Amino acid sequence: MSDVSRHTRPWMVTAIAAVLIALAYEGWQRFAPPAAWSDDEINQIASLWIGRLPALPPDPTNAVADNPEAAAFGQQLFFDGRLSANGKISCSTCHQPIRRFTDGLPKGVAIGQSKRNTPSIVGTAYSPWLYWDGRKDSQWAQALAPLEDPNEHASSRLQVLGIIASVSAYRKTYEALFGAPPDLLVPEEVDRAFANVGKAIAAYERLLLPGESRFDQYVEHVLDGGDHLEQEFLDLDEIRGLRLFITDARCTECHNGPLFTNNEFHNTGLLSAPGDTPDRGRIDGVREVMADPFNCLGPYSDDPDPNCAELRYARTGVELIGATRTPSLRNLNNTAPFQHRGQLSNLSDVLRHYDQAPLAMIGHNEAKELKLRDWELRALETFLAALDGPIAADQRWLQPPLPSE
Amino acid sequence: MDCVPAFSPGGTARGDDELAEPGHRGNLRQKSGRRHRRLARIARMILPHARRLSPLIGLALLAAFPCNALAHGGVVDDGDLCVINIGYLKAHFKIYVPEQRQHQDYCEDIPVRGESVFVMEYLHDGLSEAEIDFRIIRNVTGKGRFANIEDVTAIEDLESVTLRYESPKVVPDVFTMLQPFDEDGEYIGIVSARQMDTQKVYTAVFPFEVGYTGIGYWPWFLAAATLLQLSYWLLSRRRAPQTPISIVLLLAGALLSTDAFADDAESWVSDAGYFTVSFQSELQPLAINKIHGWVLHVENSGGEAIVDATISVEGGMPEHNHGLPTAPEVTAVLGDGRYRVEGMRFHMRGYWEIRVSIDDGAQRDSVTIPLHL
Repeated sequence: MSDVSRHTRPWMVTAIAAVLIALAYEGWQRFAPPAAWSDDEINQIASLWIGRLPALPPDPTNAVADNPEAAAFGQQLFFDGRLSANGKISCSTCHQPIRRFTDGLPKGVAIGQSKRNTPSIVGTAYSPWLYWDGRKDSQWAQALAPLEDPNEHASSRLQVLGIIASVSAYRKTYEALFGAPPDLLVPEEVDRAFANVGKAIAAYERLLLPGESRFDQYVEHVLDGGDHLEQEFLDLDEIRGLRLFITDARCTECHNGPLFTNNEFHNTGLLSAPGDTPDRGRIDGVREVMADPFNCLGPYSDDPDPNCAELRYARTGVELIGATRTPSLRNLNNTAPFQHRGQLSNLSDVLRHYDQAPLAMIGHNEAKELKLRDWELRALETFLAALDGPIAADQRWLQPPLPSE
Repeated sequence: MDCVPAFSPGGTARGDDELAEPGHRGNLRQKSGRRHRRLARIARMILPHARRLSPLIGLALLAAFPCNALAHGGVVDDGDLCVINIGYLKAHFKIYVPEQRQHQDYCEDIPVRGESVFVMEYLHDGLSEAEIDFRIIRNVTGKGRFANIEDVTAIEDLESVTLRYESPKVVPDVFTMLQPFDEDGEYIGIVSARQMDTQKVYTAVFPFEVGYTGIGYWPWFLAAATLLQLSYWLLSRRRAPQTPISIVLLLAGALLSTDAFADDAESWVSDAGYFTVSFQSELQPLAINKIHGWVLHVENSGGEAIVDATISVEGGMPEHNHGLPTAPEVTAVLGDGRYRVEGMRFHMRGYWEIRVSIDDGAQRDSVTIPLHL
């Protein structure tokens, strides 16, 4: 026995020493105070700061986009249940202000069940595409689709215009903004008036923008020359999470810019929802938006000199199979479940999904396995909570308007 | 299993101790001899384990050889890719059972009952334009895995054994179908594609099982491996267990990846040297998430402007294996070798390559412009 141990003792010592070194290294990674930000890291962090959000882009296709009367009209329509088959479903049924304009369900439930998870409206004025598959290219075009979707409002453009004609306050406001009411027997006039309804709703939705979060206050502090640790905005784990966010976890590849989204389409290898085939995503959405009569190049745009670069140069191709739009990571609080069909019920599951980077059921998952440690995934989760902030809009826009009739 | 000729089982701890005895110390030759003996000792520690494991290794190698072209009718699994052959039109074929098996995909048989998702990703473009229909029936042909199209056609009342029928329609790029299986058993999938121009119909018939009603190959391998291992243990002399091989932990240092340095040059020469290209972006500095235009300037190798070329622009991020998020186009020829390109957009920071293809009528060439954002 002792013969054996004499020869193996050096190996055992080496092995034990190696294990101790590994443990010390892991412990240091986990518990040591985060290092100061390098210049490149500061640039990256600043690019995510709300202070760098450019001014609201004008929407030349919508003549009333920045008209406050149109916004007030749009708000009334947004909260009006009469624009539905049963008189009870309004936009706010699924886009609830108290839940950041989502509904807390895997898929929207209105007249029937919607196909996908209800996205938030906050900040979507900056996105060239609306919906998970980007099948609408403006907020006003998007606002029209749920009204006629049999699973959502199950109404029709004639019915909607009929309501506006029959409610005198609406009729007066419509005429003030858009001129003479439509002849409901002329399809062209019906469609144009229907587009106008969407434009009023969009004028309201444009006002819903994200406000400052603790993360933004931290960035201001650092950009002003403050110490990266001595401050009261982010705690140590949140700072560790932030560093992972911009480095090892590769989140900023898609969740970049002040809104934490590049508004582009990516396939991340999600499992199909029960009862559904895998979501085809943008490959179908791009065909739909190009064929949409309410798109940027269509006859209902108010732009006399249409540029429509996003629509003109939109790409097609197999990369879009199963690809859905990157959502913003601001204000995730209260917006579970996540992903396009509500497949993941909490952020911990979401982060684990990106860590594993499974092969996609259809199409191709660009992401690669991250192999993050458990504490790193938790740090990322706590960092994401630091992105919560108020909606930067007057309080009157965040609740139903005072009844007009 | 005679696979270790050089070292006999006799070269074990006992032999080492003889060599390391004090009487052998003292001169240089013996010191180097000791080093060799240490190496020999290491080898002898490892190799007996190799001997013991070699039957299993051998069988594992056997099992690892792809069971070449295990075919179930129209579906062929060549180990790497599962392909369905609808005539000559091929598609990558996968079956999922998301709730029970999450991301695991199957090619031939489905191991459990449950909601199954069939996926066909077209490898042949012709499938995107064909009318495709998909039928799943219970396998009543009595031919099991060997059922073919004639057997299927011979079924009298196809509707009565059909679990699902997706009527013919054009489905571009990828075809998916959902089918819940409540019962184990044998089924047949029948996929047809009708080419719209020739009206020819091609069919794939693939019998499959739900719930593995038969026995797979693996139990046989395990039984054989166990028998061989047992026989080895019984036949070989009993030995003192070898000291376990120590595990050496490697602490890998962080690999500093060096980014490809962006060319300092403001112009780039094409692959065959015919053209030199430079660009001016209307977005200065280049930023992400904003659609914008470029002006390209194209010269030949002699410095003369190329005024009337056909130019196309593509690009992507080679490290991420994806392309540009848009499809840019040349929208104006500005004269003097300058071309306006619109629809440029980058949606991620990192390393991009923009590929500009130029055809001036006489020469055709391409240039790669590297960008770091």
